[in-house]
Amino acid sequence: MRWLFSCMLLALLGAVQALSSSGQRLLVILEDEAEREKYSVLLEDLSSRGFHTTVQSPKADKLSLFKHGARAYDHVILLPAKSKGLGPALTANQFLDFMNNEGNVIVALSSDHATPSSVQSLLLELDIHVPSDKGALVVDHFNYDSTSAADKHDVLLLPFPKAIRPDVKNYFAGEGLIAVPRAVGQTLGNESPLILPVLRAPSTAYSYNPKDEADVVEDPFATGEQLNIVSSLQAHNSARLTVVGSAELLQNKWFAEKATINGQAVKTANRDFVQKVTAWTFKETGVLKIGKLLHYNNERVSKKLNTSVAIPEHNPKIYRIKEDVAFQIEVSEYEIDHLAPFLPVENDALQLEFSMLSPFHRLNLTPLSQTANATIFGVSFRTPDQHGIFNFRINFRRPFLTNLDEKRQVTVRHFAHDEWPRSWQISGAWVWIGGIWVTVVAWVGFVALWLYSAPTTNSVKKTQ
Amino acid sequence: MAAAESETDKFIKQVSGRNTRGLLRVIILCLIAGAAVASRLFSVIRFESIIHEFDPWFNFRATKYLVQNGFYSFWDWFDDRTWHPLGRVTGGTLYPGLMVTSGAIYHLLRFLTLPVDIRNICVLLAPGFSGLTALATYLLTSEMVTSPSAGLLAAAFMGITPGYISRSVAGSYDNEAIAIFLLVFTFFLWIKAVKNGSMFWGALTALFYGYMVSAWGGYVFITNLLPLHAFVLICMGRYSPRLYVSYTSWYALGTLASMQIPFVGFLPIRSSEHMSALGVFGLLQLVGGVEWIRTQIPSKQFQTLLRALVLFIFVVALGGLVLLTVSGVIAPWTGRFYSLWDTGYAKIHIPIIASVSEHQPTAWPAFFFDLSMMIWLFPAGVYMCFRKLTDEQVFIVIYAVLASYFAGVMVRLMLTLTPIVCVASAMAFSQILDTYLNAKTPKAEPAKENGDSKDAAKVAAAAVLPEGLRSTRQPLIGVYSYASKLTVMGASVVYLLLFVLHCTWVTSNAYSSPSVVLASRLPDGSQHIIDDYREAYYWLRQNTPDNAKIMSWWDYGYQIGGMADRPTLVDNNTWNNTHIATVGKAMSSREEVSYPIMRQHEVDYVLVVFGGLLGYSGDDINKFLWMVRIAEGIWPEEVKERNFFTPRGEYRVDEEATPTMKNSLMYKMSYYNYHSLFPAGQATDRVRNARLPAQGPELSTIEEAFTSENWIIRIYKVKEPDNFGRDHQSATSFDKGHKKKKAPKRKGPRVLRVE
Amino acid sequence: MAPKSRVPEKSSVSTSSAPKAKKAGSADAQQIVQDVWSKYVNKTPQRVKLLDSFMVFLIVVGVLQFVYCLIVGNFPFNAFLSGFSATVGQFVLTASLRIQTNPENKAEFESISHERAFADFVFGSLILHFFCINFIN
Repeated sequence: MRWLFSCMLLALLGAVQALSSSGQRLLVILEDEAEREKYSVLLEDLSSRGFHTTVQSPKADKLSLFKHGARAYDHVILLPAKSKGLGPALTANQFLDFMNNEGNVIVALSSDHATPSSVQSLLLELDIHVPSDKGALVVDHFNYDSTSAADKHDVLLLPFPKAIRPDVKNYFAGEGLIAVPRAVGQTLGNESPLILPVLRAPSTAYSYNPKDEADVVEDPFATGEQLNIVSSLQAHNSARLTVVGSAELLQNKWFAEKATINGQAVKTANRDFVQKVTAWTFKETGVLKIGKLLHYNNERVSKKLNTSVAIPEHNPKIYRIKEDVAFQIEVSEYEIDHLAPFLPVENDALQLEFSMLSPFHRLNLTPLSQTANATIFGVSFRTPDQHGIFNFRINFRRPFLTNLDEKRQVTVRHFAHDEWPRSWQISGAWVWIGGIWVTVVAWVGFVALWLYSAPTTNSVKKTQ
Repeated sequence: MAAAESETDKFIKQVSGRNTRGLLRVIILCLIAGAAVASRLFSVIRFESIIHEFDPWFNFRATKYLVQNGFYSFWDWFDDRTWHPLGRVTGGTLYPGLMVTSGAIYHLLRFLTLPVDIRNICVLLAPGFSGLTALATYLLTSEMVTSPSAGLLAAAFMGITPGYISRSVAGSYDNEAIAIFLLVFTFFLWIKAVKNGSMFWGALTALFYGYMVSAWGGYVFITNLLPLHAFVLICMGRYSPRLYVSYTSWYALGTLASMQIPFVGFLPIRSSEHMSALGVFGLLQLVGGVEWIRTQIPSKQFQTLLRALVLFIFVVALGGLVLLTVSGVIAPWTGRFYSLWDTGYAKIHIPIIASVSEHQPTAWPAFFFDLSMMIWLFPAGVYMCFRKLTDEQVFIVIYAVLASYFAGVMVRLMLTLTPIVCVASAMAFSQILDTYLNAKTPKAEPAKENGDSKDAAKVAAAAVLPEGLRSTRQPLIGVYSYASKLTVMGASVVYLLLFVLHCTWVTSNAYSSPSVVLASRLPDGSQHIIDDYREAYYWLRQNTPDNAKIMSWWDYGYQIGGMADRPTLVDNNTWNNTHIATVGKAMSSREEVSYPIMRQHEVDYVLVVFGGLLGYSGDDINKFLWMVRIAEGIWPEEVKERNFFTPRGEYRVDEEATPTMKNSLMYKMSYYNYHSLFPAGQATDRVRNARLPAQGPELSTIEEAFTSENWIIRIYKVKEPDNFGRDHQSATSFDKGHKKKKAPKRKGPRVLRVE
Repeated sequence: MAPKSRVPEKSSVSTSSAPKAKKAGSADAQQIVQDVWSKYVNKTPQRVKLLDSFMVFLIVVGVLQFVYCLIVGNFPFNAFLSGFSATVGQFVLTASLRIQTNPENKAEFESISHERAFADFVFGSLILHFFCINFIN
């Protein structure tokens, strides 16, 4: 019995090696059952990370991303299909709704298959452009794999991507070269701040359709680093979509293939890269969580009670103008399977806005301390000299990190009638206070003297 | 003679003795108070005990806060559920008298172990105080004339006259409910003070004046009427030490009392409306000083020199005052009061004041409607004051003239005219009654039958007495014949009965509607209650989060705060014109412009009133031009009133409405989905009698949340920004199935993406 | 503006200080002032003198406060107002008391005995002091 028990425990432990922070139900949409074999290593990897995978064809009846109004799966991988239409359950609107419900999607494109129309309109709506003609692929005459694509030059070997900007954390770094066979290049529009490139084509690459028989490609779809092999989108509610230009780089064949680049023999590191991409898309990396949020009145001495307040009230609803306030927040980052303290990149800081219609304060939060799972950031400030309804707002949006947008509403009131400096505390008023008391004392004296002194003659009697 | 007194004589003497008459007076006054209260209860009996209109809802909310949290919390109250996100320092910007009175009554009743709900106290406060007002009118009139019936008549008139009822029905929980009582009572105390010349009455006047200042902004009327009375008396040469004592004690104590209210603060020293009181105070000191010096020094020449000195000092002081006003140390007349003198001022400069319906000039039928037969008794009563013209009666004349002018300028000020009309007409009417209701036959004066010599003596004697009207120089004799007495009395009784009939009819039909609940008649005559307002407010109350912010036009702000208990953006207090203009701009602009405004102000729901289905003409489309005008006052480039009129100058809502009109948020919210109620192409708006286009407007940034039963109130929810960063227009069109078109072939160099 | 029908003069002034010169000259003015002063010292009862001295004292205190305000400024404005108004109000009330207890004004104040006048004075003064102290917080 005991060995059975420990075996189950081991199995359980093995299964819980990696956990997505947003659910484990994964749907893989694959039209041709025969191709399932080609993706077996990927599917195994995903299962070993804890995902419950369901593989379905788009033509399957009762296929639906939603069940009873909630999403039926947490993540979707859409592999290329031969048919142009994907059926009523997988329209662009359905995908948008799925993402509005915080579902994550990986869309894989292939140059052998035409991009389905719903995928095309979906990507266009999200401002990700793909070439409209079927068969267009990315070609590079300098970074190709001599083993498999010696004359077509359509299998690229690319290093792992670097951080797109120095202040952005890179979740896709690694050692080795990635094989990208027959990729469909994408370009990103310029207006949306939500889309970002993950793996860009090298500056010598360009998009080319083999059916095009001219010697020179005039007006290519895109060239160089404008072409993306893998693009990503993170919506405002942090739902993630990744477009993988080449479905073949997900296949077993290319996970650990021997390749030659410029005479050097290398082994492809696709497995590692795919693990990183899926980890990011399925919310295992790049996820921030907020723990406790605390603000309190930082005035040491309470004016009313004239005592020091040892433990001020947590998160009061109302403050006063010109009052000292302290603010603290716990932020952790989810790394594969556990929460770790979060530290923003160098020269970057979490910021607190204290705003009413527009920010009155915008302060950098400094890390005060660290717990096992989180960093505590905090700052102190003085409420402005304007009463009204203010919000404490943390609005932290960084590439490849989930969005933090927390708001707490508080009221800032005016001075109460007894919180103004009292008259006797203002030295300028002593003369007038003295004036009043002199008047009162003189009056009392006058009344006493009057009652004592003789009445005037001809005092009028009431009965007259 | 004593032995010859019969039993009946003794009985009549007992019955008409002083104590009996006093008792009778008390009973009559109680009955008048009862009638006053009873005639104000129509709406409570027909509908229910509910607070009416708009302003009373705020007063009710403030009273609830006071009763729940105590006086000091109320004094320091910062209201964060209005004027979001600015909030309002309510404790310092309202007149606390009404709330404190209700709170005091509430606590008193609880102390007597009668737990009356605060809502019932608020609803019934105004009728209760109207009984007290009748009593105060009785007291005031009794000071004016010696006739015993004048006071009772005045009390009866004041109790049921519609001019006063309009603002004091049960449910009209507004400042005027106690303010009119305080007004009349303060005037009574003032007259008593002037007659007696006593500091005690002056101090009491000051105390009640202070209470009045805490109750109503119209206290400025007292602040200017009493000095005017004193000034006229001085100019008539009637300066007397009594006037000095009463006025100075009132001014000193009253001004100090009025400065205790935070809302008034330093205004009595700083603003033009209070300067006349200060000026007359100074003048009285001067005149009193001069009179005192005159008693010390008998020289006539010195006298004239001093008189010239007084005049000189007065002119200098007036000049100084003008200089201070011009240089800004003393604030000039505020807009509200300035518009009483220059009636065209408000429409141009302060459209918010001009847009309130109560601030429009009075139409002449309103005088008859509100005052009935008193409107012709009133000049007769004022004319009769000139008979003896004592100091008190000068007051009546001045009050009458001033109040008539103001009542003609603003409908709302009919209320201040009503007490003096009741007093003056009671004086005139009681004169009739006293003359004709005398059962005795008058004894003819024997001297009258003599020759002219006696007449001359009489005339000479009359000349010594205070001047009066020439018409009343001849001594009063009486009426002989019973026929004329009966005719006149019969006619008077008929007039009085008609008066009561008119007042009751007016109260029942015109002034007893709660305006929160509408009533109409079905074709078969039965009453049909339209309760859309409360339905919508309670939907808000039960279906939205506690802190959901509601944007609507300012008319409904107090009601939303009171009944739905949700934070609002603007309300009836209208203290911040720019904030109201922001709401106006949001309502009158296209969705792309109004959506950022609504997001910036954290608006969750938008409420709009639409009367097109029922034919209810008080809806927002009819008020729409005021929203545009007020917004145009702040943003003349972005909002233009001209763009809402067709090229021919009409204000249309059908096919021919201008694009600006059709795209404005208010238009879209009012007519969204309206066409679905009618067969195709026949949607009609019953208020503006227009046929609407078959295709209704479409909304992308807000979605319909609630529409009440008769489509009077429509509530919309503001959408969150699109999850994918698209603008709402494109998002909704994509949802409908219109796919984005691929960008056409670019001409020229392509735009590259840079990280 | 000549008064029309006034209460007939009830001046108790004796004709000892006869109006001398018709021409206004400084010597006459000084003479008149001296006459007035001597008449005042001799004729007025002690109570009235007490009143007058109290009033003079109030004027002095009031003027001092006003001068201080002019020099230093009126920063806590409510303090200035309450201090100054206390003196002004008290002065006015005392002047009213003086008028009411002046036997020459008997006809005006038929219903008010001197005791009643004094009681009114105390009542008014207490209210005045209460408001001033409340206003100065």
